[in-house]
Amino acid sequence: MKRVHLGVSLFFSVVLALATSGCAGAESGGARAPSSGAVPAAASPPPPPPSPDVAAGPGGGALALAMNDPAKAKSVSDSPHSAAMLIYTANLSLAVFQVESGLEAVERVAREVGGYLSSRQDNAITIRVPRDRFDDTIARIEKLGDVTHRDIKAQDVTDEFVDLQARLKNAYSIRDRLNDLLAKAAVKEALEIEKELGRVTEDIERMEGKLKLFRDQIAFSTVTVTFAPVAVEQVQDATILAPFPWMRGLGLQSLLNVHQ
Amino acid sequence: MKKLSLSSLLVLAAALALTGCGRPFDVKTAPGLVELDDQEPEYSYRAIAPERVVMAVRVVDTKGRGDLEFWTRATTLRMHELDGYALLGTADVKSRDGTPGHELRFGHDEAHKPYLYVLRVFVANKRLFLVETGGPQAQMERYKSTLDWMQATLKLD
Repeated sequence: MKRVHLGVSLFFSVVLALATSGCAGAESGGARAPSSGAVPAAASPPPPPPSPDVAAGPGGGALALAMNDPAKAKSVSDSPHSAAMLIYTANLSLAVFQVESGLEAVERVAREVGGYLSSRQDNAITIRVPRDRFDDTIARIEKLGDVTHRDIKAQDVTDEFVDLQARLKNAYSIRDRLNDLLAKAAVKEALEIEKELGRVTEDIERMEGKLKLFRDQIAFSTVTVTFAPVAVEQVQDATILAPFPWMRGLGLQSLLNVHQ
Repeated sequence: MKKLSLSSLLVLAAALALTGCGRPFDVKTAPGLVELDDQEPEYSYRAIAPERVVMAVRVVDTKGRGDLEFWTRATTLRMHELDGYALLGTADVKSRDGTPGHELRFGHDEAHKPYLYVLRVFVANKRLFLVETGGPQAQMERYKSTLDWMQATLKLD
């Protein structure tokens, strides 16, 4: 019992010794009060804190959560769905000090990645960029300012595209058959066939246009960037008046105004 | 005994009145100028001449904060902020009791009419004393000896 008691005491003594030696070390290495008249040397400033990871923040209403993070968006495009027909669109809001410079920078990014300007307003710009440069474009644009809003969507139009292709193929067949019939038809029947042929041709043109649009939207992603200027802080001219309001009374105006 | 005490008190009161009771300084008003009453809180003392030459004293309780150099810089910067004051020169001065001070001389143009504005800064007994003189340049030069005499009577308590 005595041995156990001795062991426990010894243990705590060691712990206490270690603790106090740490404290003594800190005290001896700590700052001393400056001697009178001496100006304490300025300590080296600490490194600046890391900037907040805005990319990791809550994103906009993206179709896929992974779309909020361009890095993850890349991985999504490499997923099993990569064979899918995806139309990527991005809407970004940035806070910048100079909106005009921001607009020009985005346009420059579009050109550099092989894209083009779609539209530009006073504080917003829409660009089209090749699908394989979409992630890179987003990453570049996000460096231009503070991202206040991010909304990246991937619209899967595979079913619609495939369906459209099938209907178009069908429409071509119908058109070919109608053309054959027209060649052999009598005048009265020919009018009816031509009428039908016109309708089918119209359908074909509409579907071809839609497919073309899909192909274009898939090949080129749309990025819209809206800029908001950052309110520049108004730093009041340093005035010696504060906190000496009596200084306002200095000068001839007050001195010579004896009628107060 | 009572009567003597009363007399003493009356004499004391009169003396205090003559010396400007409540003022932490003493200054004499020269012939040609008249001291104005009730100049507080802006001024502790202000005297004028008919030609619009004025001398005034401000007292600021600084609680001992700021030395002479500090307040001289502060007032100089303040004058720089005001439009139209050109610093013509500075000088080291002393009050009658030997308190060191700084003098700042400014020129000011008001509607093409030149004015002079002279500011003396003293720091004593946890207070800031600002002695201002000013007026049309021609009159200031005319009253120079008078104003110099008044400045020389300034004693800081």
